[in-house]
Amino acid sequence: MSDTVTLTLTAPLEHALLADCIAADRFAGLDAKQIAGLPVLHGGQAGALGEFFKIRGGHSSVVRIEGDLAQVDAIGAGMAGGELTIDGSVGRDLGLAMSGGRIDVRGNAGDNAGGARPGAARGMTGGEIIVRGNVGDEAGARMRRGMIAVTGDGGRGTGEGMIAGTVVVFGKAGPGAGRFLKRGSIVALTPIDRPGTFRYACTYRPPHVGLLLRYLRGRVPVADRYVTGKYERYSGDLAELGKGEILQWAGE
Amino acid sequence: MKINGVAIADTFAEAFTMRVARLVITGRTAKWAREAATKLTGFATSVIGCKCEAGIERELTPAETPDGRPGISVLFLTMDKTSLPEQLIVRVGQTVLTCPTTACFDGLPDAPDRLAVGKALRVFGDGFQASKVIGGKRYWRLPVMEGEFLVEETFGMLKGVGGGNFLILAADADAALAAAEAAVAAMTSLPGVILPFPGGVVRSGSKVGSKRYKNMVATTNDPFDPTLRAITQTELPEGVNSVLEIVLDGTDAPSIEAAMRAGIPAACRPGVNTITAANFGGKLGPHHFHLRKILA
Repeated sequence: MSDTVTLTLTAPLEHALLADCIAADRFAGLDAKQIAGLPVLHGGQAGALGEFFKIRGGHSSVVRIEGDLAQVDAIGAGMAGGELTIDGSVGRDLGLAMSGGRIDVRGNAGDNAGGARPGAARGMTGGEIIVRGNVGDEAGARMRRGMIAVTGDGGRGTGEGMIAGTVVVFGKAGPGAGRFLKRGSIVALTPIDRPGTFRYACTYRPPHVGLLLRYLRGRVPVADRYVTGKYERYSGDLAELGKGEILQWAGE
Repeated sequence: MKINGVAIADTFAEAFTMRVARLVITGRTAKWAREAATKLTGFATSVIGCKCEAGIERELTPAETPDGRPGISVLFLTMDKTSLPEQLIVRVGQTVLTCPTTACFDGLPDAPDRLAVGKALRVFGDGFQASKVIGGKRYWRLPVMEGEFLVEETFGMLKGVGGGNFLILAADADAALAAAEAAVAAMTSLPGVILPFPGGVVRSGSKVGSKRYKNMVATTNDPFDPTLRAITQTELPEGVNSVLEIVLDGTDAPSIEAAMRAGIPAACRPGVNTITAANFGGKLGPHHFHLRKILA
């Protein structure tokens, strides 16, 4: 048993690597050899995780991954606990349908971070994802519970079809953010392009946003003006249940 | 044993096991946090008549509160596990929810016994309430006319101690009051302790039951009433003309001992004859605070 399991990419990838076997809680019961034997798909060809990563440690739910992982998809898919830190950018489907634990990406993430499997009604149902960079399209799409924080920009359809949970975007969110949202919160620290089916409610200091941003401060810098500031509340999506919200920072 | 010429009686205070919760109330300013805390802990001096005992533990700086605003820590005690959530739901609902700018957080996050206080209060939102999980804790957001009230879903409950006490026997009422005020000042803001009575002081200490009225649970502590010295079995030394009591509740016995260790010497002032304590012969309460042992 070790404190941390470390995966280091051994060589640049020629094709997309589907590595949905990488989940912090899953590694807690496996030694290095067993982790190396987990199945992956490289350019559609079956392989083993150990063919692409050097693996150090085992039997730990604290996992660190090193290397340029922009072509590695579905890291943290279905993760239910533990801590996964990624030193670099990752591909699409980060934390796909995860239900618990923390993922911290020190780089960008591709499309559908925290999203749902194809055809599934629900995306992530718990846990936390922090991306210290930009995310692709549809981050948090159909999420049911949990939190995604993006310190950079969000792509198109951020939080699309959210059932509950929270997405925080520090930078710009792409068009269509919050469309078909039932419940849940999208917190935008910069002006956001809202769907026409959201309606302005009020400008106030939402107590939970201050609490959430103070919590996030433990890992990423958050300026005081966002923690203590006022937010415009837009209720929506009124074409759906309408119990969700977009909270857009409105100044101190 | 004497401190500053004041006799310390060779006796003990007898206290009871109670259930305790700690609430952290925050507000836009310390004033509003205090307003809510004051109302919440009002009429909560003794379980005999109030069904609960509560008081302000201490003021909290913004750095000490979950939302970074000024706060007040409150301890809340009842005799059993059932009545604690009942009292909290009613009182938080009427005094903290109603108070402008406040939010209400659990101050015993590690306590395994959880009371679903926020969960019960959420229905005030009439279906418009929403929950948020932040750092593994669930909070409820209740829409109110001012904006939103935020309350934690559950509050921790521990076994606490109620009824720690000491009595100040003085030459006159002024000396007793000055000594009581000094003791309260020394004990205020100590962690894990509240003084639930007005200003931390009790003038109407009681004995169990009644000599005359069958339905009375508690009546005047006549052995310590100076006006009854001539017609009752008095316990007052000569020269004592006024007695005040300090009652302490806390999260545990060591916290109460620490407070008594700070408060009793502060009460040993000119005009004070003796410091003693109330007990029931050790038959009713499991916690015995021996004055001389604490002060040794």
